[in-house]
Amino acid sequence: MNELVLTESLSRSFGAVSAVRDFSVRIDRGEFVAVMGPSGSGKSTALHLMAGLEQPSSGRVLYEGRDLSGLDEDALAVWRRESIGLVFQAFHLIPTLSALENVAFPLYPVGMPAAERRLRAAAKLEMVGLADRATHQPSRLSGGEQQRVAIARALIGDPGLIMADEPTGNLDTETGAAILALFHRLRDEGGVAMLIVTHDHDVAATADRVIHMRDGEVVDA
Amino acid sequence: MLSYVGAEITRRPTRAVSAVLSVSLGIALFVGLQAYSVGYRAAARAPLSEVGADLTVQRQGDVPESFEGIVYPHSVAPIHRDEIEAITSIPGVERVAESLFFWSFDGDGFVAGLGIDAAVDFGPGRLKAGLVEGRFLEEGDRGVALVDASYATQNALRLGAAVTVAGQSFPVVGIVDTTSVGTVASANIYIALADAQALASVAPNVLSVHDMRPDDANLLFVKAEQTQAEEVATAAERVLGDQALVSAAESFTEQLGALFGLIDRFGVIVGLVAFLFATAVLLRTVAASVWERRGEIAMMRAVGWRRRDISLQLVTEAIVVTLAGGVVGLGMAWLLTLLMRRSSVTVPVPWELSPSPHFLPGGADEVAVVVNLNAVITPTMVLVALGLSVLAAGLVGLWSTRWLATIKPAEVLRSE
Repeated sequence: MNELVLTESLSRSFGAVSAVRDFSVRIDRGEFVAVMGPSGSGKSTALHLMAGLEQPSSGRVLYEGRDLSGLDEDALAVWRRESIGLVFQAFHLIPTLSALENVAFPLYPVGMPAAERRLRAAAKLEMVGLADRATHQPSRLSGGEQQRVAIARALIGDPGLIMADEPTGNLDTETGAAILALFHRLRDEGGVAMLIVTHDHDVAATADRVIHMRDGEVVDA
Repeated sequence: MLSYVGAEITRRPTRAVSAVLSVSLGIALFVGLQAYSVGYRAAARAPLSEVGADLTVQRQGDVPESFEGIVYPHSVAPIHRDEIEAITSIPGVERVAESLFFWSFDGDGFVAGLGIDAAVDFGPGRLKAGLVEGRFLEEGDRGVALVDASYATQNALRLGAAVTVAGQSFPVVGIVDTTSVGTVASANIYIALADAQALASVAPNVLSVHDMRPDDANLLFVKAEQTQAEEVATAAERVLGDQALVSAAESFTEQLGALFGLIDRFGVIVGLVAFLFATAVLLRTVAASVWERRGEIAMMRAVGWRRRDISLQLVTEAIVVTLAGGVVGLGMAWLLTLLMRRSSVTVPVPWELSPSPHFLPGGADEVAVVVNLNAVITPTMVLVALGLSVLAAGLVGLWSTRWLATIKPAEVLRSE
């Protein structure tokens, strides 16, 4: 069984507006999947539904066969910490914390010894090539470096899947390509599945599979 | 988590300082008002504490038509032996010092006198500390007198000279400086209680208006259990009836003026209002910071923080800030008390407690005790202030928790 995530007829409406309709996809372990579509096509909402950040109006998400629809918000938060990593276009780093502290941030409520937490965070930071920036605050890092820190943060729980929403959207082409290469390296070396929401055809071109969306629906998978 | 708390506070200094300041000002005002009140209350106790008593007990009576020989002012009518014993046996009464206050008019001369029990070391017995020349009265002494230093100066009296009371001559054996030991029931001369009783119990202008018996007194100084002073005062009033005149520290607080009255009565309320205002400012500051940190909080949820983890973080931040505000506020209050201690308080002593004839020069002048305002921060105030700080943190935390429920991480992350 290679299946990691399965969504069954996921739908999400905001009032009368149907943002996502009948979204059914499967992502396998180690698979690199891109989700493409025009603005407003429901890509980000679909990602939020799969990450448990948004409750579906109907349908369900299965992760490693486990139905997430019965979990409350706190249980979903714990599931996210233990099972997936999230990367966003705007990085969303904590401005008052150093790069190392930002990477370790998801583990703060866990009750892990601080030394162990730092070691784990340092290892992830090294994995993304930023060991020498550990003490820098986000304001002293470039956009590409900030996104690398965000990726290291997404890796801190050793997830089976990283979901990234326009991860190269705020970066120049060269830096974007480097981030994309990092995603591929993590997939190739660590077997981490990737679900990348993007407008960028160059990003999609490197994916194992591309899911196209329009008006909230999958039009090609 | 504590490193995150530390980072949030130290790396956002403007926000932290404004929050700490708002709490500290509230705490400083709250504690400062209480310290002021404590100082004033201590000042109000001065007239009685100077003579080592907690209460004075008197009875009001009539004034004779003629002011000749020994006369009692209207505020010191006789208290009979059975009444003295009844007061002595009131629960909470530790000791009672008896004395007999009188005026003596001899020809053109006037003297205010006090008969005292030389064996008792409080009440008028405290005069011993004010002895400047000669000796104090001793147990069993009869027919001798102590003289107030200023009276002695005015009348050129020295040791060995004689003073006359109701036609009887009393050699001066000692001179006392009464200003250093008390204003209540101060007199010009002091004689043995037995001498005073013997003179007064046959004085026509005493007997004309009073049922004066040879073992009566007319001014009692009572030492009572601090916690029971109020009950003792009430019981003593019951013993003496309608004309009772019982003075306790509270009697003097009433003399201290409107400002103290307001602070004493409403100080806690004003302090609490100030503190609530500070809490509101703190809430506003935290609200602004939480609003700024919406994206941060949404990200916390996204990377696996549960609501209670985030609440704990926000409450811990609030507790650290408010406790820091509490400590700074206590420091500010302490500085305030130092300033307050530079001022003095004038406590007027009611005429009834130190009577002198109105028709004599200076007789209507107000007698007062002037003491430093000893504003003090008590351990209770510190505990209450820190408790209020934690309460403020709790309020902020509660509000934060309620606010957290309204955050939709997906919405916030999308919009940012």
